[in-house]
Amino acid sequence: MSVQEQPQMINDGEMPDVILKINDVTRTYFMGDQEVNALRGITLNINKGEYVAIMGPSGSGKSTLMNTIGCLDVPTSGSYHLEGVAVNDMSEDQLAEIRNEKIGFVFQTFNLVPRVSVFQNVELPLIYKGVAKRKRREIVEKAIASVGLADRAGHKSNELSGGQRQRVAIARALVCEPSIILADEPTGNLDSKTGEEIMVLLNRLHEKGHTIILVTHEDEIAEHAHRIVRLRDGLVESDIITTTVS
Amino acid sequence: MKLYLDISESFKIALGAIVANKSRGALTALGIIIGIVAVITTMTAANGLKNTFRQTFASVGSDVIYVSKRPWVQMGPGFRFRNRKDISLAASDALQQKLLGRGVVNPSIGGNKNVKYQSKILENINISGTTEKQIIVSDMVPSIGRFLMPFDIEYKKSVAVIGSEIADGLYGNSDPIGKYIKIGRNKFLVIGVMEKQGTSFFGGPNFDRQIYIPISTFGKTLGHNGGRANVNIAIKAPSQESMADFEFEVIGEMRKIRGLKPSEDDDFSINKLDTLLDAYNNMMGAVVLVGLIITSISLFVGGVGVMNIMFVSVTERTKEIGIRKAIGAKKRSILLQFLFESSIICLFGGIVGLSIAALLTKVINDMLMPASLSPSIIISALVISIVVGVVSGFVPAYRGAKLDPIEALRYE
Ligand SMILES: Nc1ncnc2c1ncn2[C@@H]1O[C@H](COP(=O)(O)OP(=O)(O)OP(=O)(O)O)[C@@H](O)[C@H]1O
Ligand SMILES: [Mg+2]
Repeated sequence: MSVQEQPQMINDGEMPDVILKINDVTRTYFMGDQEVNALRGITLNINKGEYVAIMGPSGSGKSTLMNTIGCLDVPTSGSYHLEGVAVNDMSEDQLAEIRNEKIGFVFQTFNLVPRVSVFQNVELPLIYKGVAKRKRREIVEKAIASVGLADRAGHKSNELSGGQRQRVAIARALVCEPSIILADEPTGNLDSKTGEEIMVLLNRLHEKGHTIILVTHEDEIAEHAHRIVRLRDGLVESDIITTTVS
Repeated sequence: MKLYLDISESFKIALGAIVANKSRGALTALGIIIGIVAVITTMTAANGLKNTFRQTFASVGSDVIYVSKRPWVQMGPGFRFRNRKDISLAASDALQQKLLGRGVVNPSIGGNKNVKYQSKILENINISGTTEKQIIVSDMVPSIGRFLMPFDIEYKKSVAVIGSEIADGLYGNSDPIGKYIKIGRNKFLVIGVMEKQGTSFFGGPNFDRQIYIPISTFGKTLGHNGGRANVNIAIKAPSQESMADFEFEVIGEMRKIRGLKPSEDDDFSINKLDTLLDAYNNMMGAVVLVGLIITSISLFVGGVGVMNIMFVSVTERTKEIGIRKAIGAKKRSILLQFLFESSIICLFGGIVGLSIAALLTKVINDMLMPASLSPSIIISALVISIVVGVVSGFVPAYRGAKLDPIEALRYE
């Protein structure tokens, strides 16, 4: 395992394809007269095709950072560029558009829409993107097949096991061909065997060239990533390349 | 996101949510159903009243002007009209002379008497002394026998043409023609029975309880001499179009006949169907308005119920809203989804309410008066329900649409 600080420098001067650039980002929650500094000055660049694990103790700001990267939340200060576009000053609807087109979320609690089928869940981002019905069918079927659930497309999400639900969530995250897949503790609610299966899926996505950022508490899960960013108290504690991305 | 796709998909999502919770949707719609039934039945009942009114006065031709001492619809103190001098038969004759060849002039005098045949008595029957021209100025004709003829008037024949209710009341199933009828203390020969008019507006005249006798016999029958009788003059205009000009001309001639100076007001009144209709609209307009306001309150309450349920629906689905936003739903999509939900519920309520109102209207029609559900009422019912849906759904939908995605996702 090669351990290097300052991972931005590893490409020997060749300009890496930076996909997101976070510069001194803070996020403060105001609760009445109390302030909670969830992020206190994070600077982080992530390149296209990277596989990053974010780790750190509970409350260190991992989810807050993920939400910021995923444009669900906006920084209190500092700047955030996604594919060269400044996200700070965007309207809510512009953020929704970015989430739709550039971000694929995978949540710990799966977050599927209840009452509707697997197919409809996976179809949803395409609907919000404005893809015509005839085109959607093919894309959705392909995405569902790619997570190995072709025979479950008609099932309601509450008829599936946890692992299957997370596969649906991954298919839904993929369907708009996002720039980044964000997975906040994707295996947190799964047993280790099912968790491994999900990781196999994510690994495969990475091999296909997707950029993946993943939050986890477990070292075995983090091992799949090529870079580990550790947070503590809203700051980057360490940023380590574990395997050089070829 | 393309708008039409946004709309059609939001519609489908809303429909799915309603189908998933049918009983709640139905209960919510109940308030709207009651409101729409109340509002629509009020509307059809109002139309029914108006139809009854129209039919009652159908025989008052719309091209006929009536010159009388008093107006039909009296505004202000009555003494002004009581103190006017009576309109004489001579005035009617003079008017006929002036309008010769244009318009038909028919004088008539009215009064009330008890009428009798053998042992049967009908009280307080309207007796009209008139001429053969009565059936030209009104649209009523005899169904059996004949109406008055010029010689009946000229020779002061004691003949009578009776209304259908009087025929039934006095003669039952037997043929009244050729029988006598006692009007006050005078015997008359029944020569005709008028065809049945049927509908009668509440409190309005009932033409089926009327008797026509020659105007020349009226004085002795009703007990005052002909000279003092107050005559109503009915004048049928040569055409509907020239009514306004014709009315102007009639007023001019009447003023001359009555010997009025230019500075004096008319001492007679011009009456026509329009006057009645205006009066009706004035009176019923207010009544119907009050009815609609009261029934609208029930619709309003229904709308508040929908709003309440929509708040519950939005709160319940906070997490779902968060998920949708996370994967790219804009405010508009969420807003539309919930607006469609409330509108579909209300439209459903509107359709059910309309069906019930249609049944009620049929009952009213069969039992009370000629009421019907017009296309404009149907359309307004549907539009009203959708508007109620949109209005009562808006605040909850907007609240859902502006939820913060992270807060919403965190909601359990
Ligand atoms: N909506 C909020 N309002 C107030 N404080 C918040 C909010 N969200 C997070 N925080 C606070 O911000 C800090 C960071 O929270 P965050 O959820 O990012 O931690 P985390 O690293 O994801 O923790 P865990 O591993 O438990 O998921 C915590 O102290 C938390 O209490
Ligand atoms: Mg977290």
